[in-house]
Amino acid sequence: METVLAHLDYVAVAVVFCTGLYILLARQNLLKKLIGLNIMETAVFAFIVTTGMVDDGDPPLLAGDLGPAFASPLPHALVLTGIVVAVSMTSLALALIVRIHCEHGTIELDELLDRDGS
Amino acid sequence: MNGPDLLPLVFMLPLVVAALLPALALKRPELSWALALTAALVTAGVAAVLTATLGESLALRYPVGGWAAPLGIELVFDRLSAITIVFSGVTALALVFSRTLAGGLGPRPALFHALVLVNLGGLNGFAVAGDLFNLFVFMELLSVSAYALVAAGRGSGSALAALKYLLPGAVSSLLVLFSIGVVFALTGSLNMADVAERLGPAGAPAATALAVALFASGFMIKAALFPLHFWLPDAHSAAPGPVSALLSALVVKVGVIGLIRGQLLFGEAAAPALSQVLMLLGAVAIVAGAVAATVQSELKRLLAYSTVSNVGYIALGLGLATTASVAGSLVHVGYHGVTKAGVFLAAAALIERTGLHDIEDLRGLGHRMPWSAAAISAGMVALAGVPPSAAFVGKWQIALGALEAQQPVLIAVILGGALLALGYGIRVINALFFRSPTHARVVAAREAPPSTVLPLVVLVGLALSAGLTGALMIDFVGPVATAIVGAIAETPGGR
Repeated sequence: METVLAHLDYVAVAVVFCTGLYILLARQNLLKKLIGLNIMETAVFAFIVTTGMVDDGDPPLLAGDLGPAFASPLPHALVLTGIVVAVSMTSLALALIVRIHCEHGTIELDELLDRDGS
Repeated sequence: MNGPDLLPLVFMLPLVVAALLPALALKRPELSWALALTAALVTAGVAAVLTATLGESLALRYPVGGWAAPLGIELVFDRLSAITIVFSGVTALALVFSRTLAGGLGPRPALFHALVLVNLGGLNGFAVAGDLFNLFVFMELLSVSAYALVAAGRGSGSALAALKYLLPGAVSSLLVLFSIGVVFALTGSLNMADVAERLGPAGAPAATALAVALFASGFMIKAALFPLHFWLPDAHSAAPGPVSALLSALVVKVGVIGLIRGQLLFGEAAAPALSQVLMLLGAVAIVAGAVAATVQSELKRLLAYSTVSNVGYIALGLGLATTASVAGSLVHVGYHGVTKAGVFLAAAALIERTGLHDIEDLRGLGHRMPWSAAAISAGMVALAGVPPSAAFVGKWQIALGALEAQQPVLIAVILGGALLALGYGIRVINALFFRSPTHARVVAAREAPPSTVLPLVVLVGLALSAGLTGALMIDFVGPVATAIVGAIAETPGGR
């Protein structure tokens, strides 16, 4: 139990990641699938940010009084890049969903696949 | 400027030209094709110069901004990176091919050409990235451009196919990013050579196993290794002709190269389990892909499933983990790229000229479009691995590896896969040349223009004859194969 409490952040990440994965797999609405994907992305970003944390560390800002211990800024930079990638992918997916709606009149995957088959 | 200084050009050149292209071609749209082609050709030249500079050494290193590794970002051009020649060359030929399709690529061909160049930049960057995070960024660059390229087709299903490709692709990228996060938490380093040294002493077997599992499953989705290939047939058959060729010949290889980098990175931490999984899934993929290809009625779907089968060969060779089989897999990555690009472009020529997709409908087309039909026929024979074709070298080496590893069943699988490939190849050849036309559009079809036929002839010619250079290529990738086998087998029993 103590190990779980000590790593509560990892548990939270795992829960959020699995929530996103469930939405992505179980929902038929393409928009909801995309939201599930974004939730998964948030979980991974949160995980990477927490790996930079140092116990009792200061924020890594040169302007302030930087104490002896400060959080690693590298994961923040990585996550920033990751967010940019995620935004570009989300926008592309949204554009595709708009086009699918224009062409087929629906964004429910099961209905789209039914029409494909018939 | 000497060799290593050229290294960033191999991905910066296509990316910069891609960014400028839509603006440069705004007033003169006809310029965009020529500019894109020039950029791809120059990139191929840069890759060739780098490979020549490599000579006897194992890797060229370029510290970005002068900051030395492991703190700085490092670009590494090793023998695996020589694949950039194939990436750039095939992209250039696909651009030549796309010249006459300009009308079918939407209202702004410049955007299409820019996307193709972004894709090339991502592929090349992926091949020379020396640290894990750049590996991820370049992977995303080429993946996002690939999703957009699938949607570049006119067909009404193309947007849906692109989205069906995007969702698993995005999940696989996330798995890889998650793994990179775990590795960074464990080692505090992102430089791949540095991480490989630090992972063992980090002494966290459970977390390392999690990282291996995430990394491998992410790249297995990218490589479309059976049973994670579910997204591939739709995406590859719905894309416009030249894009199908790029996806099937090049983009899938990113997953394979990722798996190879993973084997070097994780070494013995991944060894027995990952090798077993690759061997098993590879063997199943060879047969399942080939059987699925045999029963397809659409030409492009047949070729897409053939890619699944060929990725199986590469995975099997990696999984067997003998020097011969790994070398076979490495050369098959390049040789299959050339062969599949030629076959897919030939199929695209036949489909574009007639508007027909089913093999049965294309009957008798061999007499109307002799060059394209001959190219696809020769390509199908080359794909099966008839000597001295390119695919023969890889399959032969992998079979040798199976013999070394004393796995006679796998030799049967390798031969069976090749025979099935010959079977579906003959089915296509038979329909094109030895059946009478049933469709009016086949009778009315004309041979494609020279700019379309030239890339087919070049690629299929290479595919048929490149097996003759097999010994040379095996020698060239030899050190990488030895390194992989060494990394896997290092210090048995103790970490």
